[in-house]
Amino acid sequence: MSVSSGPSPLALPGRERRALYRARLRAWAPLLVLIGLCLLIDIGNPRFLTIANLVRVATAAAIPLVLALGTTFVILLGSIDLSLEGVLAVGSVLTSLLAANDANSLSFGLAVVPVAVLAGALIGALNGALHVGFRIPSFMVTLGIWFAGVGLATVLLGGGTVRVLEPLVRDVALTRVLDLPVLVWIALAVLLLAWVIQEYTPLGRYMYVIGGGEDIAALSGIPINRTKVAVFTLAGAFYGLGGVMAAAQLGVGNAMIGDGRLFPSVTAVVVGGTSLIGGEGGVLNSLVGVMIVTVLANGLVLLGVSPYLQQAIQGLMIIAAVAVSIDRVRSAIVK
Amino acid sequence: MARYNPAMTALRRRSFMIGSGGLALAATLGRNTGLAADKPVLVNSIRSLTNPYHATWNKGGAAFAKSVGCEYVTLVTEGNSEKGIADIRAILARTNGNMVLNVDPNDSPDARPIVEACVKAGAHVVTQWNKPADLHPWDFNPYYVAHISFDGVRYGEETANHLIQAIGGKGGIVALGGILSNTPAIERKAGLEKALAAHPDVKLLDFQVAEWLNTKAHDIVAAWITRFGSDIKGVWAANDDMGTGALEALRAEGLAGKVPVTGIDGIKLAVDAVKAGEFAATVSWDPFWQGAMGLSIPYHARIGAFDPTKEPKLHREFYGTGILVTKENADAFAKEHIESDPNLDFNDLWGRISGPIRQS
Amino acid sequence: MLQTIQLSKSFGGLPALRDVDIEIRPHEVVGLVGENGAGKSTLMKILAGVQQPTSGSLRRDGVPFVVHNPREAAALGIGMVFQEQSLLPNISVAENLFLGREAEFTRFGLMNWRRLHAAARRELQRVGLDIDPGRRTAELSFAARQMVELAKALSLEERVRGELVILLDEPTSVLERAEIERLFARVQDLRNRASFVFVSHRLDEVLALSDRVYVLKDGSVVATLPAAEANVTQLHRLMVGRALNAEYYMESDQAPYAPEVVLQARGLGVVGAYRDVNFELHRGEVLAIAGVIGSGREELVRSIFGFLPHTEGELRVNGLAVRLATPADAVAQGIGYVPRERRTEGLVTLLSVAQNITLANLDSVLHGVRIDYGQERTLAEDWVKRLHIRTAGVDMPCGSLSGGNQQKVVLAKWLTARSRILILDHPTRGLDVGAKEEVYRLVRALCRDGLSVVMTADTLEETIGLAHTILVMRDGNVTAVFDAVPGAKPVQLDLIEHMV
Repeated sequence: MSVSSGPSPLALPGRERRALYRARLRAWAPLLVLIGLCLLIDIGNPRFLTIANLVRVATAAAIPLVLALGTTFVILLGSIDLSLEGVLAVGSVLTSLLAANDANSLSFGLAVVPVAVLAGALIGALNGALHVGFRIPSFMVTLGIWFAGVGLATVLLGGGTVRVLEPLVRDVALTRVLDLPVLVWIALAVLLLAWVIQEYTPLGRYMYVIGGGEDIAALSGIPINRTKVAVFTLAGAFYGLGGVMAAAQLGVGNAMIGDGRLFPSVTAVVVGGTSLIGGEGGVLNSLVGVMIVTVLANGLVLLGVSPYLQQAIQGLMIIAAVAVSIDRVRSAIVK
Repeated sequence: MARYNPAMTALRRRSFMIGSGGLALAATLGRNTGLAADKPVLVNSIRSLTNPYHATWNKGGAAFAKSVGCEYVTLVTEGNSEKGIADIRAILARTNGNMVLNVDPNDSPDARPIVEACVKAGAHVVTQWNKPADLHPWDFNPYYVAHISFDGVRYGEETANHLIQAIGGKGGIVALGGILSNTPAIERKAGLEKALAAHPDVKLLDFQVAEWLNTKAHDIVAAWITRFGSDIKGVWAANDDMGTGALEALRAEGLAGKVPVTGIDGIKLAVDAVKAGEFAATVSWDPFWQGAMGLSIPYHARIGAFDPTKEPKLHREFYGTGILVTKENADAFAKEHIESDPNLDFNDLWGRISGPIRQS
Repeated sequence: MLQTIQLSKSFGGLPALRDVDIEIRPHEVVGLVGENGAGKSTLMKILAGVQQPTSGSLRRDGVPFVVHNPREAAALGIGMVFQEQSLLPNISVAENLFLGREAEFTRFGLMNWRRLHAAARRELQRVGLDIDPGRRTAELSFAARQMVELAKALSLEERVRGELVILLDEPTSVLERAEIERLFARVQDLRNRASFVFVSHRLDEVLALSDRVYVLKDGSVVATLPAAEANVTQLHRLMVGRALNAEYYMESDQAPYAPEVVLQARGLGVVGAYRDVNFELHRGEVLAIAGVIGSGREELVRSIFGFLPHTEGELRVNGLAVRLATPADAVAQGIGYVPRERRTEGLVTLLSVAQNITLANLDSVLHGVRIDYGQERTLAEDWVKRLHIRTAGVDMPCGSLSGGNQQKVVLAKWLTARSRILILDHPTRGLDVGAKEEVYRLVRALCRDGLSVVMTADTLEETIGLAHTILVMRDGNVTAVFDAVPGAKPVQLDLIEHMV
């Protein structure tokens, strides 16, 4: 005889099944929203679901995806990382200064990639170290690092912009393999890596554990500080890579290249169903979230929506997507 | 061009006061250690140093300050109006009003409190780009010396004309605008529309707002290519950042050089693109001039070289002259303005007046 | 095998344990009883590595040891099943079972889920839990989660060689009969490998399961006796320091209720939960509702407090028909609710005693928009006196009070709100004998003062003892109504007949 693992004694027996179905539906809601969005846009402009356009959508989503993946890990912990734009700026500036460019005679070719990623990782590690070492909330630490990063990028370039001339770097965006730019393949590889980390490494599981209950995690001997620093470092590495990708795509390195990328990244993570409180969601959720945000932007242009309305529509979409996917019954308390 | 307000997202605008990064660096970047105590301090107030436009402005100011042997200070607003005004008040206090200010206000309403503070402290001030329509230098004699702006309508129209010329006078074009509420965005769009009205064979396929950012421009152009395909003959952009973003999107589709692009600002990337035949035209405001002469004018007023109250209204509120950069003059322009600092006559105060500011 | 020597613990000057010497020998079950605040939980937590002693030492097989966290304790074979659950709701059962032990299932940096799940299934089977270990812990019922916790503690069996010490902190309070029996069977099974320390308020269970019993009072060990030689009364007296009141439920104090009807239900129902419930609650009456899980009694109680508005029939408060759509509506009607999970539902543990007492009726200490803190304190101190609430001061956060005293604060809150109808949901759960007595005394006093009580109790005995009227429910219907007049009370069998 076994113990029934039904809902908590305070829930209603008659509604158990319905609640479970609702929960399952909620988990799929973001994906359903994405599919619905794609269908709607295609009805409005059949060119949406063409290979050529889908390739463009994928290209537009590549960098935001890499950024969102880094952000996802930090949010799973229950923290937040605002330094995205600063780290990306540093990454792009390093890329543009070290690869063949129009400002100096250095030319390290693709070796810039590990340099930028490493730089990003170091900055991320700094985030983590300050956060756990001095017990400063992640919001504050990453905010400061954000502006320090942009400042650093400014100093490195004297406020100017450097053009990337290195063909190998530019090819990351311009060469296509199987019709997709290398950029997109890189994003997919990073997605796979992130997924493996999340599902198969202890580090990935610890993110959920710490996000779900840090006190219990501490009692169970989970290395909390080490994990947090590792997560921030990982996020920083992702952002650094994003910097390389941005330099490749836009052909420049400068301190403003990250401007405006933080908000869509966090939006994508939240819309995808990852909770800002931590412990819920994950990499695949963020993939869906990034696609929703990118598809929407693409669709608004394809449908010729007036620019005056676009921001309003994007805002409403975000609210709608989140409203569909949160658990309103369980969370009696909403902050 | 003043409106780099891509950072007008909820997070940046009117929110964070920062000490690190920008301000600290900016303050050290621009400063000459103080010289003679009775010489006025020269102050430039700009949005940030992370963009080439303002970085060059800053260089111009430093060069002028060096030429007259005065202390030079750079203030950076980081897109935050309160910070901009507070920093100005602070330095007015520190110098006891013995200074001149050249300011690119973060937003039009900011100009009034800034001017009033300067007048109260007895410092001479010049504003550029943004001010409320009913605020005039002649109402604040003698301290509010001049307001300089550039005619967005005129240059929006000129670049549009060059684009239309480059595509052979007919066909479809797409246009990227700046943040809808910014005056330069509105003016340049109006200029574009004037050019279109004069060329009925050219059709505007779509107009989208890329908020002055190259990233957004890139993604919008990619979507346009889906929507319009080869119907797009040319791309008009309200600034160079968006233009270069658009260019990269075209390049990814193998269209760079085949579909001309225009921008405005005259940054190095755009000039290079003009040389390479990928941009049809861009316009430079010569920020070096803006940064230097914006200080020279109030400086000369302060030392008594001229009396603002006796100058005609044309010298108090005027449009400066932009430099249209096209294939013909791109090489020369690059040599004079980008590869080296322009050789300016700092005493030629009124040489670039192109007309009075439209009173609307 | 496991020994504490002169173990002491103080929290900021307040002693919780004083020179405690206990011994746990191989293969034995040691019961630990004492009133709330006697130090049982603290002692267990120290043994489990959750807290560190202020002085004294611990010895394992004669060798002194120090543990800084439960993981280190587990390495020594000491495991604990916590009273307040220590499982993470957002991860799977398997991950919870092996929390902190991921390295055992990791190779080349990657986790082997198959092995983890297989190991988890093995552990779960031992406690008779047949569920998918990949299931999210939040989806399990409270009872199931408790069993998972037990499995987690018992999984030490595989990991550690030698004798284990398993600490069970109030494991039975939320379990059903069958589950309790399974737990006990498991304990017996493991005797040859482990010793158990069993903490519970259910003295009969402690005596049934243990070999020896330690009695703690005010942080010291006051007695240790073989279970076979002890009885509940004796234990009670040792714990409390006085004789068990023969009249446990104060039946002689049960005064007849007034004729005035304060709450009336006619044909009350909620689709899918219960139907056609009729009752009349009079002033000064205690109405107890008996039923097993799924009988609908929980939902009925929630309807009366506005958590679950009724969909059929009518509810009248003082003659006026009402529909309580939210708890605020109920409060406005003078109804108060003392919840079962007082820590999470009855109090704001971070706020002080005084703040909690005025929580339901801030108006009582408001002057315009200003809260009169002085008045609040006076009010709180008054209640502390009247209800004998043990606390270092009315400014102490409620989280620092023992269960029984927290319960009294909740009561004080509703009395401040001038509730005339009180819903008591398992009011004595987790309380020791002495605290229970005080609650019963309070209930009698409240009835005398003209309040009315709707109650769902932990045990049938309590239901019968306290009530004037008993409603028995089964599968959503009322199957019987009993009058429980002192001297002519129904017996448990009468009730059970209609419950199952």
